Amino acid sequence: MLKVLLKKQLFEIFRSYFYDAKKNKARSKGAIVGYIVMFVAIMVGILGVMFTALANNLCGAFVPLGLDWMYFALLGLLAVFLGAFGSVFNTYSGLYLSKDNDLLLSMPIPVHTIMLSRLLGVYLMGLMYSATLSIPTVIVYMCKAKFSLGILVSSLLYVLLISVFVLTLSCILGWVVAKVSLKLKNKSFITVLISLLFIGGYYFFYFKAQSILSDFIANAVSYSEKIKGAAYPLYIFGKSGTGDVVSIIIVTAFVAMTFALTWFLLSKSFVKIATSSGSTEKKAYKESGIKVGSVASALFEKEMGRFTSSPNYMLNCGLGTLMLVICGFALFIMSGKIYPVMSEIFGTDTGIVAMIFCSAICIVSSMNNMAASSISLEGKSLWLSQTLPIKPWQVLRAKLSVQLILTGIPTLFCCICAGIALKYTAVEFILTVVMNLMFVSFMAVFDLFLGLKMPDLNWTNEITPIKQGASVMLSLLIGFVAALIPGGVYMMVGYGIGFTVFMLITLAVFAAVTFVLYRWLRKKGCEIFATL
Amino acid sequence: MLKIDHLTKQYGDKKAVDDLSLHIRPGEIYGFIGHNGAGKTTTLKSVAGILNYDSGTIMINGKDVKAEPIECKKITAYIPDNPDLYDYMTGIKYLNFIADIFGVVLDERKEKINKYADIFEIKKDLGQPIAAFSHGMKQKLAIIAAWLHSPKLIIMDEPFVGLDPKAAHILKEMMREVCDEGGAIFFSTHVLEVAEKLCDKVAIIKGGKLIRSGSMEEVKGDDSLEQVFLELEGEQC
Repeated sequence: MLKVLLKKQLFEIFRSYFYDAKKNKARSKGAIVGYIVMFVAIMVGILGVMFTALANNLCGAFVPLGLDWMYFALLGLLAVFLGAFGSVFNTYSGLYLSKDNDLLLSMPIPVHTIMLSRLLGVYLMGLMYSATLSIPTVIVYMCKAKFSLGILVSSLLYVLLISVFVLTLSCILGWVVAKVSLKLKNKSFITVLISLLFIGGYYFFYFKAQSILSDFIANAVSYSEKIKGAAYPLYIFGKSGTGDVVSIIIVTAFVAMTFALTWFLLSKSFVKIATSSGSTEKKAYKESGIKVGSVASALFEKEMGRFTSSPNYMLNCGLGTLMLVICGFALFIMSGKIYPVMSEIFGTDTGIVAMIFCSAICIVSSMNNMAASSISLEGKSLWLSQTLPIKPWQVLRAKLSVQLILTGIPTLFCCICAGIALKYTAVEFILTVVMNLMFVSFMAVFDLFLGLKMPDLNWTNEITPIKQGASVMLSLLIGFVAALIPGGVYMMVGYGIGFTVFMLITLAVFAAVTFVLYRWLRKKGCEIFATL
Repeated sequence: MLKIDHLTKQYGDKKAVDDLSLHIRPGEIYGFIGHNGAGKTTTLKSVAGILNYDSGTIMINGKDVKAEPIECKKITAYIPDNPDLYDYMTGIKYLNFIADIFGVVLDERKEKINKYADIFEIKKDLGQPIAAFSHGMKQKLAIIAAWLHSPKLIIMDEPFVGLDPKAAHILKEMMREVCDEGGAIFFSTHVLEVAEKLCDKVAIIKGGKLIRSGSMEEVKGDDSLEQVFLELEGEQC
């Protein structure tokens, strides 16, 4: 029984690797291998290399001082943080919001078997995030510090215990989110707010990380004494990574106990939460709710309603909106510090500062990619768009409009703040504003293009198209690379032809690509949408 | 109202609908029966403009579904076998959305929403998200939405599934009302007693082919529709 459920759960998680939703058939072996290689390359090539460098740095600083335990404690904490942060909302939607909960509960399957299979999905997500840090940690230690069979065993346990503890934390946080969301009125926005607090904490830590780590390295001995005194469990945790048997037993017992307790809690409330439709106050129907609108506004409101109804959608595909506003304010507030430094390094008449910030704003705006998953999110209600007397383009235009408005307006705000804070010339200001808005347009049509090329309409959990969809992943990757073009190319070769000429050429290139994609959407894209 | 000529739709090598021809006139309730996988839903989806068929023609009120899809859809309403609506909308928002798309004026939409929501007894629930609706409530909402723009042709796939007896009775009356006003209804069902009592004409499909069609009297003669259907199924085997 469990084997069947695990197989189903694993297939669901990695479905896009084995199944081509567009062609409605299984992928070829070559394609499966290609997808897996691409995934591994991203995880190992980008995150793995980044964290290996970090581990190398810390190992070099702590191990010669005999503070091996602090090396494991610090990186272990980071791995736990990364894993829990990455999978908490996936836990909530994976455990409690799966569309087949009712179906499975109606079958002669013990509840704990359903939970176990669901938790495996959560565990794999947590492991995926935490292992990008915990594996480089142990490898670097074994390569740079010492290697023995005992260290190998303790290293494997270290990776395993972190991943199980991440699972426990994710389950507790997911359970809290589920319990709270049952009582909330504006669930989506409050869930987003809580998530943003998490994200805020994450970014605060991220930006402070370098100075915190430098401080730790410089004062390693004094910090180690403080930790031993005030946070002894952390010391034990770190010691377990070094192969200390007593510490390994204590940490293993702690992780096992907390997991057992969490399992007990979850099994008590799983059925109630998974089958509850919420106990929020019923909103009474009012005739004043009947209003007349145009077809375009009805479709736009539909798309906007879809976006604002889902915390997952807002957080994964619309974070750029908030980040652009925050960046704008930050630039404005910190202009006194940023402007003198930037103008001293790059000068005031090279245009480099404007180009760098133009690219930076492009990067932040590329975090918005709601159009990429909007086609897949039509899911089983696609029949409505296909049977109503509307042209496919009208539906696609509404999807584009949401991304353009939610990204374009904050981008404009951020550009204005950058222009004021960094004292752009009139030409720099106009051209960077136009370039940033052109980039927003490019990303909107590109995201919709990806959404139409890689639709997945047969999902059981909306997290699949939102977070794990190929269109979203490609959008983030290609968007990031495209955003680097203006600043990067200008700094390498473009400055030779001057700011204005380079910017006009870049604008022309982006405009041409945007136009080609737009034409594709109008013709081929509409045909694809009509026959999905 | 609806003229289907030599409709053929293939999925890979399998013909889901094979050279099917039907003619539904204004004022007719046309029942479409057949076993599971016979090709009913494929036919209905082709008429509704969801599926792109391989050959043949479908004309709605003299207009070709392929050549003038928007014009055809303006006078048509479709209710699928499983009402997967926009779960994130409230009932009233969904009805407003549909009314906006069809350009239903304010007074008319108010009158119809109030009228049908009252008779289906879901008025108090219209402020709730559709996600909180039961299957039957979703089906009622889909029916109200379909009736909002006074369509001339209504296509329904198993419309009685999930409806309580009272709602099913109301739907039957509404269907007759549409036809009395010159509209037409084309619907599939497995409930042969309902088809026998409600339909003016009936078509029986098997393996994608139409094996019998005509007025109810022509098709069943002195027997019951169930007997005829089972005999035809047996003969074909």
